Amino acid sequence: MSPTHSGSQEEFVPASQTELSRFMTDNTAAAQKQIFPVGGRTSLSVCCPASQSGTLICTSQLNRVIDYPVRDMTITVEAGMRLDQLNEIVSAEGQRLPIDVPQSNRATVGGVIATNTCGPRRFSYGTIRDYVIGISAIDGKGNLFKSGGRVVKNVAGYDLSKMLVGSLGTLAVISQVSLNLRPKPETMSMVWFAFDSFQNADRALEAIVTSGTRPTAVEYCNSKAARQIAAESRSELPSEHQVVCVCFEGPANVVNWQADQIREEWKTFSPLSSQIVGAEKATKLYNAFTEYQTSSDDPVTLKAVLLPSQMMKFVEAASQLNIAVQAHAADGIVFGHLPDSASSLEDVQQILQQLQKAISPQTGHLTIYQCESEWAESLPLFCSAPSGWALMQQLKNALDPDQLLNAQRFSELVEA
Amino acid sequence: MVDSTNQTITQEAPPLDELKSGSPPFTSLVQQLTQVVGQANILYNADELLVYECDGYIVDKSAPDIVIFPTSTEQVSKIVKLCNQFNVPFLARGAGTSLSGGCLPIGGGVMIVLTKMKQILEINLRDRYAIVEPGMVNLHLTNALKGTGYHYAPDPSSQGSCTIGGNIATNSGGPHTLKYGVTTNHVLGLEAVLPDGSIIELGGPTAETPGYDLHGLYVGNEGTFGICTKAIVRITRDPESHRTMLAVFQTIADATRAISAIIAAGIIPSALEMMDHGIIQAVEEAFHFGFPLDAGAVLLIEVDGLEIALDEEVRQILEICESCNVREIQRADTPEERQLIWKSRKQAFGAIGRLSPSYCTQDGVVPRTRLPEILEFIEATSKKYNMRIVNVFHAGDGNVHPILLFDERDQEQIQKVLEASEEILEKCLELGGSVTGEHGIGVEKINFMSRIFNETDLDTMETVRDIFNPRQICSRDKVLPQHQSDEKAGVVQSHPARRAPH
Ligand SMILES: Cc1cc2nc3c(=O)[nH]c(=O)nc-3n(C[C@H](O)[C@H](O)[C@H](O)COP(=O)(O)OP(=O)(O)OC[C@H]3O[C@@H](n4cnc5c(N)ncnc54)[C@H](O)[C@@H]3O)c2cc1C
Ligand SMILES: Cc1cc2nc3c(=O)[nH]c(=O)nc-3n(C[C@H](O)[C@H](O)[C@H](O)COP(=O)(O)OP(=O)(O)OC[C@H]3O[C@@H](n4cnc5c(N)ncnc54)[C@H](O)[C@@H]3O)c2cc1C
Repeated sequence: MSPTHSGSQEEFVPASQTELSRFMTDNTAAAQKQIFPVGGRTSLSVCCPASQSGTLICTSQLNRVIDYPVRDMTITVEAGMRLDQLNEIVSAEGQRLPIDVPQSNRATVGGVIATNTCGPRRFSYGTIRDYVIGISAIDGKGNLFKSGGRVVKNVAGYDLSKMLVGSLGTLAVISQVSLNLRPKPETMSMVWFAFDSFQNADRALEAIVTSGTRPTAVEYCNSKAARQIAAESRSELPSEHQVVCVCFEGPANVVNWQADQIREEWKTFSPLSSQIVGAEKATKLYNAFTEYQTSSDDPVTLKAVLLPSQMMKFVEAASQLNIAVQAHAADGIVFGHLPDSASSLEDVQQILQQLQKAISPQTGHLTIYQCESEWAESLPLFCSAPSGWALMQQLKNALDPDQLLNAQRFSELVEA
Repeated sequence: MVDSTNQTITQEAPPLDELKSGSPPFTSLVQQLTQVVGQANILYNADELLVYECDGYIVDKSAPDIVIFPTSTEQVSKIVKLCNQFNVPFLARGAGTSLSGGCLPIGGGVMIVLTKMKQILEINLRDRYAIVEPGMVNLHLTNALKGTGYHYAPDPSSQGSCTIGGNIATNSGGPHTLKYGVTTNHVLGLEAVLPDGSIIELGGPTAETPGYDLHGLYVGNEGTFGICTKAIVRITRDPESHRTMLAVFQTIADATRAISAIIAAGIIPSALEMMDHGIIQAVEEAFHFGFPLDAGAVLLIEVDGLEIALDEEVRQILEICESCNVREIQRADTPEERQLIWKSRKQAFGAIGRLSPSYCTQDGVVPRTRLPEILEFIEATSKKYNMRIVNVFHAGDGNVHPILLFDERDQEQIQKVLEASEEILEKCLELGGSVTGEHGIGVEKINFMSRIFNETDLDTMETVRDIFNPRQICSRDKVLPQHQSDEKAGVVQSHPARRAPH
C-alpha cells in the first residue's frame, strides 16, 4: 500500500539524537504540535492518518553505527538505520539480526521496533524484542531516557525497551538501540508439501511438535496465496493446493539431512507432492513469504494471531470467504488479503464478523493490518480491547501527557 | 481483566510502628488475614519470623511482622487489599534465594510467601506453553515435562529451589542463557495482583497480544510491580543430543581467548562456564573429580542440537582450544560422565564452604571480549586487599561471579569485602558492562543505579513504577534509589552497608 500524505504536515529531519531531543523539548514547552515519528514510511497510510496535521519526525539522518564490537556480537545503531544497511554491516562479519522484515531496503530499526515486525523465522528466533538489549528514546515530555545497556546480560533497572517494542511510536521516539546479534548460518533450504485437505495439512503441522528435525520456519498458504507467492518468487510452488513449507538453516550436511528426514516423516500425512528447494531458489521463496504480508494491492489485509492448534479452523473459514491466506504456521500468525469482491466498507465489515466467529477470545484475536486510508477510521485496528488496557492508558498519559505522539494511532490501538 | 472491586485505602491509617505486635490494629489485621488463609497459613510470632529476616543476601536484615502463605490468587488479592486498608507495606517472597536482598521487608509489614501456590495448571505441547503457579520450583516444571521432549529453558544454578515467580521478578539467567536466552525470552504472559489488590492478566498464550508488551515490562521488576500469581511460559524442545567437554588451561588468559574465539567462529555453545584455579582447588578438595590442581582455569563447554551437527562443532571447538594452548580436554562419553562434569559446576558454591566461613558472590557483567581485563583486575584486587577471591561464572555471557572469601566475625575483613566488591563492580561499568547480570539490584546495589543511569532515566523508571505501584506500598525501597532519604525504616545492618563514594 502506498504511503499517502496530505494535509498540513511539516517535516523535521534531526541530524543527531541531541537535535531530536531539543526539538521535542521545545515542542513540549511551546508550540505543542502533534508529532508523527516515521522511519522507512512503509506503513504510513495506516500509522499517520492524513487528516491530522502536525510534524513528521523523520529519522532518515539518524542512521549511524555508534559502536560495533564485532567479537562481542552486539551493535549499537541509531534508530533510522535501514535494515538492509544493518544487515550489510553485520553480514560482512559473518553475523546477522535474525528478524525478517518486509521492504527491508526501506524499513528502519526504529520502525521495526515500534511495530514489532516479524516474519517466518520468529518460530526459531523470536522477534526484535528478544534482541534489543538497550534503548534510548524521547518521550512526549521531551525527556531523553535510556534503559538496558550494551552487554547481552543486564538486569539493572526496569526493561523499558519492552514497553517501546510494538508501541507504534505512541510513547516515545526511539533514537538509539543496542542489539544482540547471531552468527550467520552456512546455508538454508526449504521443503514444500502440497496437501488437498485442511485436516492433512493440520496433522502435518501438529507433527512439528515431535519431529526429529528442528525447522527454523514453517509457512502455510492456501491455494490462492500459493498462486501469488509462486508468481512473486518465480518458483514452482504448487498453486492448486494448500502448501506447507518447512525451512532449515545451518551447515549443509545438517540442512540436507533434515530436508530428507521431514519428507520421510510426513509421508504419513499423504501429501500430494513434495519437493526440496536448494539455497538459491529457497531464498527467493523465503523472501516472498516475508514480503507477502505487505505486498498485496488488495484493499484490506487482516492479521489473526491464534494458538497454532486453533489456526486451521480460522484458515478454513477464511478460505471459504475467498481470502488469500498465508501463515507463520507454527506460531499461529495468519495474514489474509481480502478478495477484490470486498469492495465496500459494508462487505469488509461483514467478512470481519464472519471471521470473528472462528476465533474465541481465549485462543486468539483478529486485527486490521492494513487498509485503504478512507476506511481506516471506520474499521477497528484491533477488534477487542486488550487486558491491561487501563495500565496502558496510564502509561500513555504519563509519558505523553499532552497526547502529542501518534495520538490517533494510540486510540485506534484499542478502540473496538 | 481489571478487577473492578473498589479499593479500600484508609486515608487515616495508623502509623506503621503502632501496628507492632499486640497493638489493636495489629491484632485486627492478623484476625482478618487469618480469616483469608486459615490459622495454618499465617505466622506472627517473633521467633517464627526470624527465618524470614533475610534471603540469600545476608548483609542487611529486617524481619516482617507477619508472614502469610496464600493458596490462591483471590487470597493474594484479599491480603493485598487488607494491607492497603491498614496501610501496611507488603512484599512477595518465593524461595528466598535472592542474592540482592529482594525479599528484605523494609519497614516490616506483611511478607506474602508463594510457595504453596505451586501447581501446574496446564501443559500444552502443541502450542508450546505451560501455565504454572508462581511458587512452582523451576526444576519441577522441567521434571514434569520429562519424557515429552520438552523442557523449561531458563535454568538458574539455583533451579532446584528457586521459584518461577522469583525468576520472573528477577529475570533470571543461568548456564544455558547463552544459547536459550533469559527468563524474559520465555514468558508469554502472566497474571498479577497489582499493589492495589486488583487482578490483572498481561500477555497470553498466543504469540502476540494487542497493545503494549506489559508482561515484558513486568519481567525483571524485582517484586515492585505487584505479585505474580500465574505464569504462562514457553516450553522448549529438548535437544536431540549433547557433547560436554572440560578444557583445562594453564592460564586464565588462554581460557578467555578460547571463549571469544569459539563464539567468533559462529558456534553458540549451550553452555560455556569457567572455573578458575581457586575454585578448581575447592571443588577438587570436596569431590575428588580428578581436576589438575595446578591448572589456571577450566572451561565447561557444552554444545547441543541435532546429533548429526555435533561432531563437527566439537571438532572446531577442539581446534580452537588447541590454538589457545589448551593443556588437555576431557570429554564426557556417557551420561554419567556428563553428569559428573556438571556436578562439578553446580556444586562449586557448596565447595566454597570448605575454604572460608563466609563468602560474598558478586554479579558483574562485561562485554565478553573484556573478560581478560576484568579477571586481571579481580586478581589485582585480591592481592591489594590480601583477600582470596575465586571465580566460577557464565563466561559466554561475560557475566562474572567473583566470590570473595572472608570471615564474617572479623569487622575489618567485612569492610574489605565491601570495598573490594565496589571496586570490581566499578571496573565492570568502566569496561562497558553492568553491576548485575542476573541477581538484580534489590537493596544491595541500589546506590549503583545513579551511576549507571542519569536522573531522567531514573525518573522515567520511577514514572513507570508509579503506574503499577503509586503508593510504594509493595516492596518498598527496592531497585530505584530513594529521592527523599537514605535511611531505610527498620533495617538492621549486620555489616556496614555498601555506600557508594559518589
Ligand atoms: C499498525 C501496524 C502494525 C504493524 N504490525 C506489524 C507486525 O505485527 N508484524 C510485521 O511484520 N509488520 C508489522 N507492520 C509493518 C511494519 O510497519 C513494517 O514492516 C516496518 O517494520 C516499519 O518500518 P518503517 O521504518 O517503514 O516504519 P514506518 O512505516 O515509518 O512507521 C511505522 C510505525 O513506527 C513508528 N516509528 C517509526 N520509527 C520510529 C521511531 N524511531 N520511534 C518511534 N516510533 C517510530 C511510526 O510512528 C509508525 O507508527 C505493522 C505496520 C503497522 C502500520
Ligand atoms: C546458589 C545460588 C545460585 C544462583 N544462581 C543463579 C543463576 O544462575 N541465575 C540467576 O539469575 N540467579 C541465580 N541465583 C539468584 C536467585 O536464585 C534468583 O534470583 C531466583 O530467581 C530467585 O527466586 P526465588 O524464588 O528464590 O525468589 P526470592 O528470592 O524469594 O525473591 C526474589 C525477588 O523476587 C520477588 N518475588 C518472588 N516471587 C514473586 C512473585 N510471585 N511475584 C512478584 N515478585 C516475586 C521478591 O519480592 C524478590 O524481590 C542464585 C542464587 C543462589 C543462592
